[in-house]
Amino acid sequence: MKILVTVKQVAFLDDEFEMRDDDRGVDEDFLEKDLNEFDHYSVEEALLIKEAAGDDAEVVVVTVGDEDADDALRTALAKGADRGIRVWDDALAEADGVAIAKVLAKVVEREKPDMVFTGAQSADFGSAVTGMALAGLLGWPHAAVVCNLEYSAGANTATLRRELEGGLEEVMSVRCPAVLSIQLGINEPRYASLRGIKQAKQKPVDELSLDDLDLDSVGSASRVRRMYAPEKGQAELIAGSAAEQAKRLAEIIKELRGM
Amino acid sequence: MFLSQHDPENVTRILFQDFPVWMVVSFYIIGFLAIGVFLYGVWAQIRKYRRGVRSGAWSPFWPRFKAMVATVLSHRTIKRRAPAAGRMHVWIFYGFALLFIGTSIITLDQDITGPFGVHFWYGSFYLVFGVVMDVAGVALIGGLLYMMYRRKWLALPKLDYARPDREPGDPDYDRSWYRREDWAFLWSLIIIAFTGFLLEASRVVWLQGDPTVWDFRWHAPVGTSVAYVMMALGLGPEGAGDLRMGLWWFHGILALTFVALIPYTKVKHIFTAMGSLMARDPEGKRRMPPADVEAERIGINYLGDFSDKYLLNLDACTKCGRCHEACPANAAGYPLSPRDLVLSLREMSGDKLSHASMPEGPIEVIGDGVNMIRPETLWACRTCAACIEICPVGIEHLPMIVEMRRTLIEQGEFDPMLQPTLKSLQKSGNSLGESARKRPRWTRKLDFEIKDARKEPVDVLWYVGDYASFDPRSQKVTIAFARILNAIGIDFGILFEAEQTAGNDVRRVGEEGLFQALAEANIELLDSCEFKTIVTTDPHTYNTVKNEYPEFGGNYEIEHASSMLERLIREGKIPTPKNLDYRVTYHDPCHLGRINDGAEPPRQVLGRLGLDLVELPRNRDNSFCCGAGGGRIWMAEPPEMKKPAELRAAEAAGIDGLDILVVNCPKCLNMMEDGVKGTGNEGNFRVMELIELVEEAMGLTDEPEPEGDGDGTETEQVGAA
Repeated sequence: MKILVTVKQVAFLDDEFEMRDDDRGVDEDFLEKDLNEFDHYSVEEALLIKEAAGDDAEVVVVTVGDEDADDALRTALAKGADRGIRVWDDALAEADGVAIAKVLAKVVEREKPDMVFTGAQSADFGSAVTGMALAGLLGWPHAAVVCNLEYSAGANTATLRRELEGGLEEVMSVRCPAVLSIQLGINEPRYASLRGIKQAKQKPVDELSLDDLDLDSVGSASRVRRMYAPEKGQAELIAGSAAEQAKRLAEIIKELRGM
Repeated sequence: MFLSQHDPENVTRILFQDFPVWMVVSFYIIGFLAIGVFLYGVWAQIRKYRRGVRSGAWSPFWPRFKAMVATVLSHRTIKRRAPAAGRMHVWIFYGFALLFIGTSIITLDQDITGPFGVHFWYGSFYLVFGVVMDVAGVALIGGLLYMMYRRKWLALPKLDYARPDREPGDPDYDRSWYRREDWAFLWSLIIIAFTGFLLEASRVVWLQGDPTVWDFRWHAPVGTSVAYVMMALGLGPEGAGDLRMGLWWFHGILALTFVALIPYTKVKHIFTAMGSLMARDPEGKRRMPPADVEAERIGINYLGDFSDKYLLNLDACTKCGRCHEACPANAAGYPLSPRDLVLSLREMSGDKLSHASMPEGPIEVIGDGVNMIRPETLWACRTCAACIEICPVGIEHLPMIVEMRRTLIEQGEFDPMLQPTLKSLQKSGNSLGESARKRPRWTRKLDFEIKDARKEPVDVLWYVGDYASFDPRSQKVTIAFARILNAIGIDFGILFEAEQTAGNDVRRVGEEGLFQALAEANIELLDSCEFKTIVTTDPHTYNTVKNEYPEFGGNYEIEHASSMLERLIREGKIPTPKNLDYRVTYHDPCHLGRINDGAEPPRQVLGRLGLDLVELPRNRDNSFCCGAGGGRIWMAEPPEMKKPAELRAAEAAGIDGLDILVVNCPKCLNMMEDGVKGTGNEGNFRVMELIELVEEAMGLTDEPEPEGDGDGTETEQVGAA
């Protein structure tokens, strides 16, 4: 019994930053990186299933990324995942979600897991497409925004709840294996102590190239042309004491009314 | 009187006078039996301690022994915050010790040197001996009577063992067995002492015809006084002889039973307290225990993880309640009393480790079972060190708590609010969830540049710290400190975005791996800079850099801002043109006042600013924590609970005409402002940092007085030197 969890090392933007010279992204110096918030939940969900199965299950975390992404794997391994896979090739530098899904589909073929979890989306680009594309490529069922899951290791079906718009939820059964995109709040992710993260260095991580997966290229279906900060609208944060705030508010109202 | 009939140089007491042989033999059999039971008990206790991890805490032996003897003989630690009980314990201690030495001398004379014909217990030595023993007996009885009075009539809350963190009916709720043991101890000792005097008196009455007894009767002044009472009541020599025989056996058997039971009862504190004091780590309140983060496990999870020293600590506790009384968590109603924690662990180690064989498998310490330590108990701690500071027998509660927290952190058993904080610390080196790049942003509000200590040498490297860098209220203080240093021309610099939190609270919350990583990164950074000394406004940073960084190879001279300001004012380098006319009180930060002996410099600064300082009832080493320490500032306080800061604010509100509650730590500032609001004292007095008062006295403040109609223009800077 094996659960594969796809994870991503995402970037966080400082509130002050500069763009890259080619204007197609943010200067790396202004980014801090960490394991995608959603992936904390998908990893946790896999670990809970593994623990319920009396550890007779394997959790494999896989990421597509350069060496920086090892931190994300190590965090997941520190929490209790058994091993990691990192796929990288310079040709993947500008890969979009569909391209990443093509790589992951090859990994799934290789690993033959009983279940695949992804995060509902990545915290930086947020296209929420990787899991869906992966399921499509594999021809597996997919459920997005999963907020509750009843699944025991090795079962043929899983029952789950999905969040819909307007506060609705739906209950679904899916045939396994399936790809599930896990939503925040499905569980309470555990903490990976720094000691645990360091010790996770001893857990095996396979580094694979596109060659290893028999992929020549993964041609992205889309390309970023430009990234920029739009002009700021008319918003102002009013600071100061209540009296100062009220005074400023009155000024603005007068200004807008042309008084 | 036939003076010639006896020579005072030969007078002595005949032991076993008129005893048939079988009685003497019986007595020796009972005596050896008692010693056997005693020795077995001692061995069983030592075996229990040796089942802990070896700590080597008793070496170097002789310096530690000497320090312990000085502490015990002076009763320094017992007199603190309970002077009357301390003095009375002196009486008991010296009374008991003298009587014990006296009995040993008789044994020596009778059973050890006697058989070789060497006797010394006669003549003038014997006569002086008699007086000394009587005085010792009176001291013992006096002390014991006071302790009975203290328990019964003073009814001190700290001597009530009922546990605030348990429900009535819980098996470990009120520890009534301890209460019965206390009384049994007092009664048996006082009965032994009283029957000693009665025995002495009955002998005088019995042998009144023997001039070697009668003529020297006043060398047993108390016994003889009692003898006169007996005779007045009509007791004759014959009756007294019978009485003496009965009392002799009663007194003897009771005393031997007492000796035999020492290792099994609270009486063992005589030895355990001495052993514990000897092993005491004077740095215990400043430096948390080292740990190998590469090891398979970390911290204390099982009983077998406790060191021999900690196991002895547990047995040394005399339930005096000083820690129970001093603990801010306990005072605010949180489920932690350092005393109860120690007693629970003591019960557990007594249950599990005292028998010939050990129970199978590891014994879990943390959990909800009887005598187990609950996670919420461990999380209630503010690591303020009030317990370890006041413990008269050198128990180190705080390091034990931190060691158990290390286990909870690894198991993920903690307040969910703590997780984002720890992740933020892992990711960007600060606890406020901010990016590292934002750290020096406060400097933008200055109209001068601060040197980058990473790029150029400075005299003083200012370690700013988390709250001082990011917390909006603390930033005002940080800016004030920068202005002061700039105004008087100090050559100083900061580490800008490269600084990470020093890690004091990270270590105390139990995230040892993260603490060590932070310490190593900060030390590497500091070592790459050129500076003479470090200064910080944050006592937590101060403590860790000063006391914990040396373990990782970082040895720096560091000064807290308040000491630096005191020095600069004293040396005339800070001009204070304005005398401030406020009535203030001062709240000692735990990490400065209690933990690092830094109580006086801030008070001297207040004095030099002309302020009217009224002390809080709890001050200096007895200061009451604001509640922020040990990572508690990152965790939720349940709304139904009082906060330690609110108790403290209420304490300050008791001072008539108070204008300002002065704090000296960014975290105290944060907590006390909340505490003042929470107690509805917002309009009554303000909370200010010491640094802000210095700034005001130097005329550097640019903000108009709150109630004044200042024009808001910038006050001119005092010319930089």
